[in-house]
Amino acid sequence: MKYVITSVLLLVNVFADIEITGHVGLQGERYLQLPHAKHQSNMTAFESLELFYEDDAWQFKTAWYAQQDYDDFSNKRDNDRTFVRLEELYASYERGDSMLFVGRNIRFWGALEVRNIVDVFNPVDLRSDIFDTDKMGAWNVAYTYYSDNSEWSVMVKLYEENHQVAAYPYAYYLFPPFVAYDDVLQSERSRYRPSIYVSYVTSFDWEYPLDSAVIFENGYDSQRYFLPNSALEGSRTVLQEHAYLVNKVMSYNTMVVDATLLKLELLYSNVIEDKHISDYYHIGAGLEYTLTFDEISGDVGLIGEYYRYGTFDNDKFSDLDLYETFQNDLFLGVRYTFNDVDDSSLIGGVIRDLAYNEKVYYVEYESRFGDAVRLNLDYRYIDPSSRYQTAYALLGTHERLGLKLSYYF
Amino acid sequence: MRFVLLLMLVLSSVYAISYKELAQKSDDATAGFEDAQSRMSMTLINASGQKRERLMAMKVLEGKTGDKSLMEFLSPADVKGTKFLNYEHVNKDDDQWLYLPALKRVKRIASKNKSGAFMGSEFSYEDLSAFNVDKYRYPEGEVKKGTLDGKEVYLGESIPVSKYSGYTKLRTWIDPETFLILKIAYYDRKKELLKTARFEDYKQIKGIWRMGKITMSNVQNDKKTILIWNDERIKTGLSNKDFQKRVLKR
Repeated sequence: MKYVITSVLLLVNVFADIEITGHVGLQGERYLQLPHAKHQSNMTAFESLELFYEDDAWQFKTAWYAQQDYDDFSNKRDNDRTFVRLEELYASYERGDSMLFVGRNIRFWGALEVRNIVDVFNPVDLRSDIFDTDKMGAWNVAYTYYSDNSEWSVMVKLYEENHQVAAYPYAYYLFPPFVAYDDVLQSERSRYRPSIYVSYVTSFDWEYPLDSAVIFENGYDSQRYFLPNSALEGSRTVLQEHAYLVNKVMSYNTMVVDATLLKLELLYSNVIEDKHISDYYHIGAGLEYTLTFDEISGDVGLIGEYYRYGTFDNDKFSDLDLYETFQNDLFLGVRYTFNDVDDSSLIGGVIRDLAYNEKVYYVEYESRFGDAVRLNLDYRYIDPSSRYQTAYALLGTHERLGLKLSYYF
Repeated sequence: MRFVLLLMLVLSSVYAISYKELAQKSDDATAGFEDAQSRMSMTLINASGQKRERLMAMKVLEGKTGDKSLMEFLSPADVKGTKFLNYEHVNKDDDQWLYLPALKRVKRIASKNKSGAFMGSEFSYEDLSAFNVDKYRYPEGEVKKGTLDGKEVYLGESIPVSKYSGYTKLRTWIDPETFLILKIAYYDRKKELLKTARFEDYKQIKGIWRMGKITMSNVQNDKKTILIWNDERIKTGLSNKDFQKRVLKR
């Protein structure tokens, strides 16, 4: 009896210390220009829940995400966008200058604002709005050693996930209507073949301070390609996603020069074994300058970024075959931070593809109602290439209005 | 007569104090806390009197060349877990990082522009950074005395050195016995009065004076922000390790 009472008290104590956070919300899009066969609007209910427990050197966390697409229960033509997803489930233990990690989590690598080309650890869920970077958790074990202003990490990703995509009527179905998608990931080696990452992150206390990170990877590349599978072909073409192995070196850096942040992300990928994919590089460079004014309380941030992608073997897949959208692109944007009680901000910008003459315009407004409701409004317009078969050309001329309301608890 | 005059001269030199000496004594009055941990509540009051409350957890490590501080936002819920790490420097810009939990991202911040509002409040980042004598220039001559709430006080004055400061002048009201700051008036870049801050609820913790409350009133827009320190502890044994960038992601 004593044992039971002690156990119950212990459990009650543990549960009392668990921190529960999350949000629920609704997201809607109205497409002003889109192919008529696709759904002309979209509504999604979503929910995120996180449970966190900390006991001295130990940390435990789990995070779940669920969404329900309106067309999936009200329409005969499903979007296949309704799911429950485990985002994170991990334990970490820190002792002295070392930290051990086991589980599933999401990491962030990068410095730029529009596209983080080195943020490759977690796959992105292709069922989501293509303008949100909706990362999925990845199973891994990791060891990190910390010193005063730097850290070494070894991370081993244990498994490569399937990439599910939404069904055709959804606005952001990636392929033409006559193409079907088989979501079983193809790879020459086992998908349980681990991907190993070694990272070094440090800060240099120079006249112009620099934060820098270098990462080496041996394992599956985050870039993928699609091939038709003749065995599955009937009346429709069936595409499958293929993964391949690389040795990859990546770096991301931020330097502070007075009121300006200079940013650089770069990677070089050496393909170990694949007849379709060439070695390639990807570079992104940017700057962010903040202006303040006496007359108004808000700040104005001026942002400029340039991206360049290239392959080394012309006989293999090019950026067009791989649907790489940031291959020779310039972004110019302005962010106005209101510095108000609701943390409101307005950002607008244009991404110009210098090679294929594509343009993406967008404006986003973000604010808060009361203390718990977050509001996001956005407008986007895509003017795709008329000559090249780019990812945006597959989408067609695209214009949309979006609204997102989230209640946080 | 000559003796009396000499005595008056000696006494006046003993009690006379320069503006810089006053600032140094004021700085010394609250120094020696080594480190501090507290919960802070920030009440934002708009011109119509409507209130919004923000909660933060704060850690500070006292340093000879500048303090290190870590602030974690506890509310509102959508920014809970956001952390702000600051390494203060006297002769160069502070090093600052922001951790955004929704993205798991640690973002470097350019600290050059000090006049931006902190969390939509009437405090700027500059107001919240630790006072350091060398960050200011001072008028020549002796400090004058005046009154505040019927009590005699020193009337200090200082001019920010940084050209990126939002202020051209600070006037201070300082307790002549404890050298604790009681009030500051901030003058904007047009040299007009912008804000006043009242410092209250001082208490001694382990023999060190600690401030309990600041009320910042913007005289140009009639908004007000009240910052209150709760459950403050000092000399708790924090070290540099507690202010490494690693703590942002924990």
